Amino acid sequence: MTTLTTPSPSATAHRDSGGPRLLSWLLRLHRPALWAWTALVLVLGAGLLWLWGPLTDAAAAAWRQYNACDMRPRCAYDQPAILLYKDVEHYITLAVTAVPFLVAAWAGAALFGRELESGTAQLAWAQSLSPTRWLTAKLAFPAVLVTAGTGLLVCLYHLAWSAGRGRIDTARSWYDSLVLHTNGPTTVAFALTGLAAGALAGVLCRRTFPALALALGLTAVVRAVAHLAMPHLWPSVTHTVDRSEGPVVLGLEADSGLVTSTGAHVPVPRCDAMDPGGCSAAYDRLGAVGYYTEYHPFSHYWPLQLTTTALVLVLAGLFALGAFWVLRRTTGTARAAAKAGAV
Amino acid sequence: MTDTAIEAAGLGKRFGRGKWALRGCTFRLPTGRVCAVVGPNGAGKSTALTLAAGLLAPTEGRITVLGTDPASARPRVGHVAQGKPLYPRLTVAETLRVGADLNPGTWDAATAERVVAAGGLDPEARVRSLSGGQRTRVALALALGKRPELLLLDEPMADLDPLARRELMGTLMAQAAQYGTTIVMSSHVVAELEDSCDHLLLVGGGRVRLAGEIDDLLAAHTRVTAPADDADLLSSHTVVDSRATGRQLTALIRPTGPLPDTWRASAPSLEELVLGHLRNPEAPVPTPAAETGKAPA
Repeated sequence: MTTLTTPSPSATAHRDSGGPRLLSWLLRLHRPALWAWTALVLVLGAGLLWLWGPLTDAAAAAWRQYNACDMRPRCAYDQPAILLYKDVEHYITLAVTAVPFLVAAWAGAALFGRELESGTAQLAWAQSLSPTRWLTAKLAFPAVLVTAGTGLLVCLYHLAWSAGRGRIDTARSWYDSLVLHTNGPTTVAFALTGLAAGALAGVLCRRTFPALALALGLTAVVRAVAHLAMPHLWPSVTHTVDRSEGPVVLGLEADSGLVTSTGAHVPVPRCDAMDPGGCSAAYDRLGAVGYYTEYHPFSHYWPLQLTTTALVLVLAGLFALGAFWVLRRTTGTARAAAKAGAV
Repeated sequence: MTDTAIEAAGLGKRFGRGKWALRGCTFRLPTGRVCAVVGPNGAGKSTALTLAAGLLAPTEGRITVLGTDPASARPRVGHVAQGKPLYPRLTVAETLRVGADLNPGTWDAATAERVVAAGGLDPEARVRSLSGGQRTRVALALALGKRPELLLLDEPMADLDPLARRELMGTLMAQAAQYGTTIVMSSHVVAELEDSCDHLLLVGGGRVRLAGEIDDLLAAHTRVTAPADDADLLSSHTVVDSRATGRQLTALIRPTGPLPDTWRASAPSLEELVLGHLRNPEAPVPTPAAETGKAPA
């Protein structure tokens, strides 16, 4: 057999090309997802540009007309512009909020769960791609695209929101529970958490739908934890008012309650709000003389965003490490690595 | 360099907290052979091959592949899983390009394309539109294109028509002859492997029932028909399987000495050998010493 020692021409052609061509492999597998992601970012981005420019201008003009009316019973103002702004802003806020969950569902189901269920992940491992490299590639390239796409959306959202601030009377406050995140990098961190949660869920469940559900669940938990923790990740400002003024909301609230005659801060007691005398009597018993609120003014926005983003990224990193750990254990790669290290 | 393709010692795998798919398996498969892993459905054949391919970690015991651990041997091992998993959205040509992408430096595009072309497959056809047999062909092309030293095939012929089976078996044998590839293939249909395999590993109930060179195993066993009165005489040999038919006994034995002239003796077929051992899980397994004495060291 003369062919025994002669490598085929194609084999020599590839011999000097280094490691596996992971980008080409990933693009081949996930081209539809790449198109879908690009389309989503473009559509939402276009919507945000529309909101930022024409819609904000039209709605701001309409609000000026409305405020000029000054309670006159018959007065013309561009109500449709205000309503259109409100609708578009509402749906885009929901969509940007949903992006991390979309990433989690896709990662859990299509990127990891389905491949492990159908055996195509094992097919790749049998094709000289080690499980850890497979996971690294499948996390790294999507992470770049998720960061770029979500980052762009968040930037545009921040521009659109800032353009409306102070000009549109119904614009949402910076500490609105959705705007608080769609306006800044925490949404990017949530999206990366979705990706990492999808990887962990995929290698744990090894099935499409359980992995999808687990990835969504993990992402929701991280979002809830981050939302609850956020006001406590930066020193807050305390503001007190007289009892006669009633409680006030000044920004993102960390804590609030009653100030007693001794100056102590106590939580608002449980009382029946329907019974006006009931609450008053309960406050009297505590010796309440005012209300206090520990809150964050708008100037704390960036420190809050950055500390929360760091916290969420740590959680996302833990998910990713967990996915590597589970995959190494189930495929016996850990022992190989340990052995290689020992030699 | 080692002459052992796969060596297992006390190998066991349990999925979750359920039943053991494989337990206490100790065997050795030499290199350069075509080895049949035979056993009934659910015997643990797939699990054994998946462990050897380094796609799963064993729960207990040890498995060595090409002289190293399965994870380190992975680049030198080809594996075709039972379900023939492939990316359904890709075309045949794109699937082969995946092989080229993941095996730079070793990918043998000519072999892979030849295997696919022999089946008359359109390279632009989507994998999801292929029949079971066509998928098997693409999966084999991917595994062969990697030019592995050890090829693990799980029920490779199950979906193929007789013509394609013969043709693909020919391709595999040519590969084995040309590159000295060790081929390990599982099947629950013994007849499918009889002509092409020279080593046997019989698995049943998650354990190894019989292992060795097929010729040696066949030579060590005899099928006898004896009068029912000779039952005592029969038990002086190692009886694998015996059944009474009227006044006669038909048995599969490993003779320990000369047989009486009144017995009719004949060479068993591989299928009879396999069925005899599967029917009698308690049948004594030939001592490894007797086998390794005949196997090349």
